[in-house]
Amino acid sequence: MDADRVRQAVRLLIEKKPRGYHGILQHLQRLVKLDEASRSARVESAVALTEAQQQSVRESLVRLKGGEVTVEFAENAGLIGGMRVKVGDDVFDGSVKTRLASLSDSF
Amino acid sequence: MELLDNLGVDGPKLIAQLINFGIVLFVLWWFAYKPVLEMLENRRQKIAKSMDEAEQIKAELAETQAERDKVMAEANAKAEKLIADAKEAAKQVGEAEGQRAVKQAEEIIRKAREATEADREKMMAELKAEIGRLVVETTAKVSGKVLTAEDQQRLIDETNKELAA
Repeated sequence: MDADRVRQAVRLLIEKKPRGYHGILQHLQRLVKLDEASRSARVESAVALTEAQQQSVRESLVRLKGGEVTVEFAENAGLIGGMRVKVGDDVFDGSVKTRLASLSDSF
Repeated sequence: MELLDNLGVDGPKLIAQLINFGIVLFVLWWFAYKPVLEMLENRRQKIAKSMDEAEQIKAELAETQAERDKVMAEANAKAEKLIADAKEAAKQVGEAEGQRAVKQAEEIIRKAREATEADREKMMAELKAEIGRLVVETTAKVSGKVLTAEDQQRLIDETNKELAA
């Protein structure tokens, strides 16, 4: 979603105040939040990622979403090993913890 | 007549005697002989009648006996048939009961086997789950320590490749 166009649309709505503009603004806000959420990613790893690894992950996410993505990196020793990426509603989990949980479920 | 005279027979007397004899004979015949004959005839008839009746009774008795024998034979035949039927029915009932008992026993055995098999499978599943839990728990405890930097790198790269795919 283009931020400039969103700003322009909001400005026009506030200036002209068409009937039901309040509802339209609320709906637009919800769409913006959804878009923002779909472009926000949280990357957790058992050990801290190097700069190169972080850059590689960013590039992969940009290719995946087709645009800019806000990425937050975090260290989570509970994962035991590997990395877990949550972007929007999608989750890419390659952590050892999840693999072991799958193994446990298979028993 | 002369001859009769010569013989000493008095004709009139003879005639009178003959008449007397005839009268006596008639009286005797009428009052004695005839009733006796009649009595004898009656008795003979009675005896004959009695004999006939006896013969009839004997015949009737024989017929009754034969009828009774026939009825008895029929009754015996029916009774034997009833007994045979009852025995057959009892045999069939016994066989049916036996078959039912065998079937019930087989059913009980089958259910017991199924229950045993289910218990075994349940136990195996529980055992498998428990072993799996222990394996995972142990693996989780040690893997953090045994994973090298290269391992971590490889795991991260795998996820990154999945993202890029």
